[in-house]
Amino acid sequence: MSEGQMDDERYLWDRSGEPDAEIVRLEALLSPLRHRGQPLGVRPRPPVRRWVRMLVPALAVAAMMFLVASAAWFSWTARRDGWDVQRVGGAPVVSGVRVAGNRGRDGARLAVGGWLVTDGASRARIEVGEIGEVEVDPNTRLQLVTSSGREHRMALARGTIHATIWAPPKFFFVDTPSAVAVDLGCAYTLQVADDGSGMVRVTHGWVGFQSGAREVFIPEGAVCSTRRGNGPGTPRYEDAPAGYAGALAVLDFSDAGDARRASALDVVLSRARPRDALTLWHLLRRGSLDERRLVYERMAVLAPPPDGVTREAVLAGDRAALDRWWDALGLESTTWWRLWKRDWEK
Amino acid sequence: MASVTRFSPGHAAEDSRLVREARGGDASAFERLYERYARVIHGVVLARVGRVDVDDLVQDVFLAAWARLATLRDPQAFGGWLTSIARRRAIDHHRRAVETTELPADLEAPDAAAPRAEAIAVIEVVRSLPDAYRETLVLRLVEGMTGQEIADRTGMTPASVRVNLHRGMRLLRDRLQR
Repeated sequence: MSEGQMDDERYLWDRSGEPDAEIVRLEALLSPLRHRGQPLGVRPRPPVRRWVRMLVPALAVAAMMFLVASAAWFSWTARRDGWDVQRVGGAPVVSGVRVAGNRGRDGARLAVGGWLVTDGASRARIEVGEIGEVEVDPNTRLQLVTSSGREHRMALARGTIHATIWAPPKFFFVDTPSAVAVDLGCAYTLQVADDGSGMVRVTHGWVGFQSGAREVFIPEGAVCSTRRGNGPGTPRYEDAPAGYAGALAVLDFSDAGDARRASALDVVLSRARPRDALTLWHLLRRGSLDERRLVYERMAVLAPPPDGVTREAVLAGDRAALDRWWDALGLESTTWWRLWKRDWEK
Repeated sequence: MASVTRFSPGHAAEDSRLVREARGGDASAFERLYERYARVIHGVVLARVGRVDVDDLVQDVFLAAWARLATLRDPQAFGGWLTSIARRRAIDHHRRAVETTELPADLEAPDAAAPRAEAIAVIEVVRSLPDAYRETLVLRLVEGMTGQEIADRTGMTPASVRVNLHRGMRLLRDRLQR
């Protein structure tokens, strides 16, 4: 570094050294934007009293009991085997029989083990017991696997569905050739291509995507791809920076060499916004140690880890440390999905 | 020439004392914390949000911090904790906000302290820089803090601040010359 550059550095750091004319000009120009020293507008009220704080856990227990009761109710009301199917357009076929109508008694019943197939001009709507609805797009082929009180499960062989589930989390599952989509109380679109690859796009709530030990959690506004043989990739927000989809495809699914992986990781890290901590958090659990070190450094700038979460613990894959950092990201409904996820993992 | 804010070396210990007093219900201690951090939070928010909304958001950040003060584990880490609240509030604001265009200063009501149109144009360029750069640049160029003060107040390491300032300034020069 030249002496002039060092002067610039010093001036930029603490205004010692030779003043840099451009920086001085910018300081003067921007100073009217500075905080004007206004006082705090509202005098804060005293903190909440202790008995009120004690009330909060009691309310949480009551909420939990309500959730359990509603789960029991959904189990009870969803006991009838099979799902009702209605025609929305064209001529969808249920177990080899064309669905005639689009109203209750004119529809068809999809039995466990039966297939629903739509051609290029057909659409259908499925009533998933009492727990939700699934819109089926053209060129889709799906099978009803399970329809019991506690579990509704379909296999999507190819095509597109739009699921809206109002039951508590973990009642509705969709098997795809490369991952299982687990409803965590949500609305989402799931697509499966002929080669078995898939994509989930969440419009409300959360979806879990799982294959073996690989699992991801996708919140509202995010998407995630999956590939046969790899399982789910890394989720990203739909408004993620340019180049994210391609770079994540390299990191998640390709056999690219070190140089190409490094380049892809650079795209993801250098363009990440604080909101993309969702993506970076998932990358903390994947890739080589060197890659995870870089992810950690960037994420620590964008969304600093909470007190007690150390770099060593995160890089060692410490579950508690990763969970605490996730909590600190401020993503909604974390308590709920964590609760249900724990159950799911049993 | 703009002045540079300087803080006493023991400000973390002072933060800790004020946080403990504020937790005990002393609103004036919290007002002292506001006086010490208002400029930092103003800069963090200004790096992400149009200036017309900045003052309101700064108030929101401090009121949110007051409500959640009991959840802060290490009172000495008040600065980093507060800036992380500010970043999230600014992001939430963006998510909810209807898209607007900032009115050039020369079209607004006359105000002796109002920034010039060029200042608003420059801050827009700063906001177009990557996150880490724009925040440190706003704190340095707008709020007048030194690199060490930025590190002390935001919880970033001095090395990170130095890199962010250096690279951010280089990027800013490039973009302003276009």
